[in-house]
Amino acid sequence: MVTEVRTGDTVVRLDGVRKEYGETVALDGVSLEIRAGEAVAVMGPSGCGKSTLLSMIAGLDRPSAGTVVVHGEKVGELSEKGLALYRRRRIGMIFQFFNLIDDLSALDNVALAAQLTGTAARQARRRALELFEELGIADRRNAYPAVLSGGERQRVAVARALMNRPALLLADEPTGALDSRAGEQVMDLLLDLNQIGQTLIIVTHDEHLAQRCASRLVQLADGRVTGEHTLEPSA
Amino acid sequence: MSAVWKAARAAVRRRRLQTLVIWLVTLVSTGSMVVALGLVDAASAPFDRVFGKQHGPHVVAEFDAGKVTDAQLRDTARTSGVEAVAGPFPQATVEIPRGAQDLGLGGDIRVVGRSGPGGSVDRVHLWAGRWPTRPGEMVMNRQSDWTANALGKKFHMPSGPTLTIVGFAFDLSDTADVWVAPDQIAALHPNATQMLYRFRDASSQNALRAGLAGVTEGLPRGALAGSRTYLSIKHQVGSAARAYAPYLLAFGVLGILVAVLIVANVVGGAVVSGFRHIGILKALGFSPGQVLSVYLVMISVPAVVGCALGTLTGNLLAHPFFRFVFTGPDSGVLRDSVGIAPRVNALALIGMPLVCVLAALGPSVRARRLSAARAISAGSAPRAGRALGIQRRLAGLRLPRSVSLGAGLPFARPARSALTLAAVVLGVTTVTFASGLATTMTLFGDGGKGAYDVTVYADNYVKGKVVLPVHGDRDLQSLLGSLPGAARVTARADEDAQFVGSTKRVWIEGRRGADLPLDDVLVRGRWMHRPGEVVVGSAFLRRNGVDIGDHLRLRRSGREEEVTVVGEILQDNDQVVTGTWPTFTALLPDGKAFSYHVKLRKGADPTAYARAARAVDKGLSTQLTGPNSGAETIIGSATALTLMLALVSSLGVFNTAVLNTHDRRRDLGMLKSIGMTPRQVTVMTVTSMAVLGAIGSVLGIPLGIAAYEVVVPRMAAGVDLTLPSYMTDVWHAPKLAALALAGLVIAVLGALVPARRAARLTVAEVLHSE
Ligand SMILES: Nc1ncnc2c1ncn2[C@@H]1O[C@H](COP(=O)(O)OP(=O)(O)O)[C@@H](O)[C@H]1O
Ligand SMILES: [Mg+2]
Repeated sequence: MVTEVRTGDTVVRLDGVRKEYGETVALDGVSLEIRAGEAVAVMGPSGCGKSTLLSMIAGLDRPSAGTVVVHGEKVGELSEKGLALYRRRRIGMIFQFFNLIDDLSALDNVALAAQLTGTAARQARRRALELFEELGIADRRNAYPAVLSGGERQRVAVARALMNRPALLLADEPTGALDSRAGEQVMDLLLDLNQIGQTLIIVTHDEHLAQRCASRLVQLADGRVTGEHTLEPSA
Repeated sequence: MSAVWKAARAAVRRRRLQTLVIWLVTLVSTGSMVVALGLVDAASAPFDRVFGKQHGPHVVAEFDAGKVTDAQLRDTARTSGVEAVAGPFPQATVEIPRGAQDLGLGGDIRVVGRSGPGGSVDRVHLWAGRWPTRPGEMVMNRQSDWTANALGKKFHMPSGPTLTIVGFAFDLSDTADVWVAPDQIAALHPNATQMLYRFRDASSQNALRAGLAGVTEGLPRGALAGSRTYLSIKHQVGSAARAYAPYLLAFGVLGILVAVLIVANVVGGAVVSGFRHIGILKALGFSPGQVLSVYLVMISVPAVVGCALGTLTGNLLAHPFFRFVFTGPDSGVLRDSVGIAPRVNALALIGMPLVCVLAALGPSVRARRLSAARAISAGSAPRAGRALGIQRRLAGLRLPRSVSLGAGLPFARPARSALTLAAVVLGVTTVTFASGLATTMTLFGDGGKGAYDVTVYADNYVKGKVVLPVHGDRDLQSLLGSLPGAARVTARADEDAQFVGSTKRVWIEGRRGADLPLDDVLVRGRWMHRPGEVVVGSAFLRRNGVDIGDHLRLRRSGREEEVTVVGEILQDNDQVVTGTWPTFTALLPDGKAFSYHVKLRKGADPTAYARAARAVDKGLSTQLTGPNSGAETIIGSATALTLMLALVSSLGVFNTAVLNTHDRRRDLGMLKSIGMTPRQVTVMTVTSMAVLGAIGSVLGIPLGIAAYEVVVPRMAAGVDLTLPSYMTDVWHAPKLAALALAGLVIAVLGALVPARRAARLTVAEVLHSE
């Protein structure tokens, strides 16, 4: 269920990435390399550029300067359509506030990701159901986001992110809107995914969680990388 | 207040597109509403307006001068119920020379001796020259859209005196054909006395009859020779206006409905989409009243500016538009009286902003009561069950996901979708109705079109003098037929005659040549062939209670002939009876044609032919066949109004699409983050509107057809026309398909711009700002 990439190959390489929003400099020359199978935690104070960093990697926006190379593709040079296809094929993304579509059932929210690539509805739903079972939310498949708990919503979001077997799973404060128990469960889930080979980048505030599941910690402040160290995963 | 102002300004700045749409929608819809109201106004009461201005007489009474004295008549002014009186005026019936006939007069005219155009009753509008003051002078009754170039012309009356035209005056009530000074009238041997009455109660024919009975009570028996009420003239004058009125009214009402609905839709939608923003304002400490004010200010400012500019635009457009609409031959009265009434402007200036404020008030008050937390979460509240079911079913369809996703969007916001749908339905109804009407009017205008290219009249004016042809009638016809380019020549003549058994006058028309139908269209029955066979208009049949197969007796100069009605033609004149030449000469043995209608060979130049025809005889004048201005008028105005309403509807749809994409920014950002391409975003957004367009077409087309079926026959009946079925048989499959497409096109066009905007959204930015 995870894209076959040999552990140790470089998946992401950022080179002097700079991003400005008007006057604000969100990223100020970030260089970073991430290898397949790694679980990287990005930490830093609010507003230091963590989400922007993920956006650059996910191809949600283009850098003002510098290059982002993922799987040999220069993300900043892709066309709009190319970016869409890139996100579809390579990236799975999880947000703090889930970002599910309210009018669609949990299952259809997840199936949607595959249907956008042209997969037939029945097949997409079947694959979604597999994921629901693996993530332990199969009984909630027909519920709508409004009636799901935060933890359940986030698991639906994880399922959606995994739908197209992404090379990279990006999570932006995935536990930020959850109580600590639900947060732990989601973190465990991500850790499990990493242990079967899923490359993972997590933005988080929670040092404890970062320590638990990341193999490497990147410290960000004012749009710059201020520290980087490898961790021994505890589990 | 300054906090409110600041917040409103900031809100407007953040919603530039929406503000622009509100401004545009109010502008265009107010503009079209002004034009529509002006049309309704102009079409509904042209007679009353002119009649009121002229203080027209409710009854025109003619008394036998031998049986009643002027003093007795003067006394009738004191009869109870009489409001005002003019007269007594001596009146003569005078035969006029032939040359005067083309001033629009019959063989005999009514001449009235009157000392001036004013007075308390019947204030005649003297629009050229002056009133006759001396013997030998006269003023003619004519509408002011004629030219006054006959001023100074002299006529030798067969009965003796010579009269010079010194002025032209228009009298809507048609109390005389010519007026002369009181000193002059004796020489014309008056035999009647005219009295003009205004009554306190003039509401009905019965009230007028009772009033007249009161007047004649004290007079000798048989003193009243004849009388006419203003109601009959009103009917006559109004017929041109009545042809337009139902359709203009339909358009006007449609225009107002569309305008109000769209404005309500746009404004209401703006408030609903601002719920989150409202929550934030509340969280910032804005009081409910302040929130309400922010929203009212934010919407009213562009709306009021739009309404004001729209009223201005409507006024600027109305003038050329009315000029263009009222160019038909019978619209002289209308043309003089149309214009945008102040109350129309007042209504637009006060009514439309009121609609805006009311439309904003409903949701604003709701927003005012909303708690901050609920308002902020308004975007993610659980949805209605049905919408969810539809989405689930759509998700399983074998359609591209962007299409099925888009198709489900309208069901997620049923209230807003319903308003948009109403806009589309009205737009499609309008387009359907207008296209049906335009087709009928085109067929109507084309009826008999091309029957002839040049009309040659058997008289001519040279330096104000009438010149008659030197050739004889039949010689002229064959001469004209032998000119290069001529294919066939049909002669035409008419004279007045009496309808035996009735006081009604008729015109007997005779035709001679290869093309007896000329430009007339047969509705029922057949054309005349044998002597004694005639065709008449629908109006003639209706007014006289006659049907095809009936026999009529006509009298003229002591001769009496029986004719048989064999066909009904499309003709709103209720006095014309048309037969073959022998039918005509049976009553008028020396009758001569007054015009020759020439059909040219293909490729022949009408102008060259007309020149050649004039060279044949100095007494001939020519006229090239022009387009049918009446039909063109209706088609033109229908097109203009249709386009205007289609534009307003499109703006409404556009606005919904803008608001929907704005509401869905977060979802769109997410969809893009999981790999939706810009194209898929466009397809999804356009699909969501196309669904409304399709539903709108399904509902709007039958409504448009129904409106057509209601309005068009009434419109024709208003001018006493029965349209042949081929003219009203306008609904064919290709056309209906095209109309269905129109609904889709309105919706898709409306959605395209916001769809492309949505497609270009930068995901990171959307997700950041949410
Ligand atoms: N789309 C955007 N438009 C304008 N400013 C932005 C945008 N995204 C981020 N920023 C600014 O860039 C800086 C970094 O933001 P972000 O990456 O979201 O920080 P973090 O996720 O670490 O809290 C902040 O000052 C933020 O306000
Ligand atoms: Mg962030």
